[in-house]
Amino acid sequence: MPLRETEALVLRTYRLGEADKIVSLFTRRMGRLRAVASGASRPKSRYGSALEPMSYIRLWIFERENRDLLRINSAEIIESFFDMQKDYRQQVATQYVAEAAELFLPEREVNERAFRLILVVLRALKRTGEATRPLLYFNYWLLRLGGVLPDLESCGNCGRALGDEAGYYGEGSEQLLCANCRRAAPYQVRATTRGLERDFRGLSLDAWISAGPAAPECKELRRFLEEVVESHIGKKLVTRSLLAGDT
Amino acid sequence: MKDFAEPLARLIDELKRLPGIGQKSAQRIAFHLQRASREDAERLARALIEVKDKIRLCSVCNNLTELDPCGFCSDPTRAADVLCVVESPYNVVAIEKTREYHGLYHVLHGALSPLQGIGPEQLKLKSLLERLKSGKIREIIVATNPNVEGEATAIYLSKLIKPLGIKVTRIAMGIPVGSELEFADEITMLKALEGRREI
Repeated sequence: MPLRETEALVLRTYRLGEADKIVSLFTRRMGRLRAVASGASRPKSRYGSALEPMSYIRLWIFERENRDLLRINSAEIIESFFDMQKDYRQQVATQYVAEAAELFLPEREVNERAFRLILVVLRALKRTGEATRPLLYFNYWLLRLGGVLPDLESCGNCGRALGDEAGYYGEGSEQLLCANCRRAAPYQVRATTRGLERDFRGLSLDAWISAGPAAPECKELRRFLEEVVESHIGKKLVTRSLLAGDT
Repeated sequence: MKDFAEPLARLIDELKRLPGIGQKSAQRIAFHLQRASREDAERLARALIEVKDKIRLCSVCNNLTELDPCGFCSDPTRAADVLCVVESPYNVVAIEKTREYHGLYHVLHGALSPLQGIGPEQLKLKSLLERLKSGKIREIIVATNPNVEGEATAIYLSKLIKPLGIKVTRIAMGIPVGSELEFADEITMLKALEGRREI
């Protein structure tokens, strides 16, 4: 039963029994996993605030053979995102990242780039208080790192280049369709909106945000990418409906 | 052949649906109930039915009660100008144990938690705002849990209530009594410093 050390992001926690918690984690060296934290709900818990959602922590964890759930021995905070989540809009944005990451990233698959992506997005949310661009950047790179980012410049059905035309999508879409193939797809992504990809593709999130205020088209592209994330997960994200109303 | 006789298996299945009860605990309780006298079993069954039949939410504070309004809301000796807002009825019990608080309560039945799909509409906020309209309340004590969800709820409430000219306070957070400073993490220590008071 070896004790392993790794850095991790706390995605969410579930109550277990009277005072224990099951913690869903995205770790740097072991990928996404779940572990039990005994007594984590007690006032004198040894974990303190380290297991609050989206804490960036250093973790010591026991792995047991033939057991899905690991056991957390101890945890210490490297960086906390506790205070920024006091704001409800920030909380919704942060927990969208947690929910999408938990459902999108495969279990026990190490993904250093996704780990750094989440950290960068959390820091931008904390620093700027803006949700649209950090979440657009998150969705874009999450899909790209997962190898499922749709081609934004051509129709996913007939392959025709969209050029200056709008692309269309509906619920459950994984790609954009041209006007001829759209059938009942009700939402559009305009050519100017798709052009945003060129603005941020080669930039760090910080550099993109520093370059000026968010373009109004950012939300349009973000919503399409959220739809693609949902269709790949095969499930509606609970936080997405709250996000739509607030950010 | 089945492991248990049908009625016993059904009881085990029902017990397993309770929070914190797994297969082994459910079996232990089921066998205990089977061995217990008929009177004991009937008393338990009656208690369960009574809870379902008689317990409801207080129409004023949303606490669990047999009589409406509840004992707290109808007690004339309690301070009617202070209101303590909590997440769940359990929290009322924890605060009452101190015997130091003599005001009224309001139970939200949850805290803002986007991951669980709980937004402001799912909380008992409308009835809270209705109570505040009476103009009798001078102070609101927000006693939601000291975690991300509880803090977000507290800040949301404060933004909602402060414009009405009512004082909003938050219960202190920090080092638990009986523990030692060296084991406190930075967030807990920071909260303790922020909430320091003159002695």
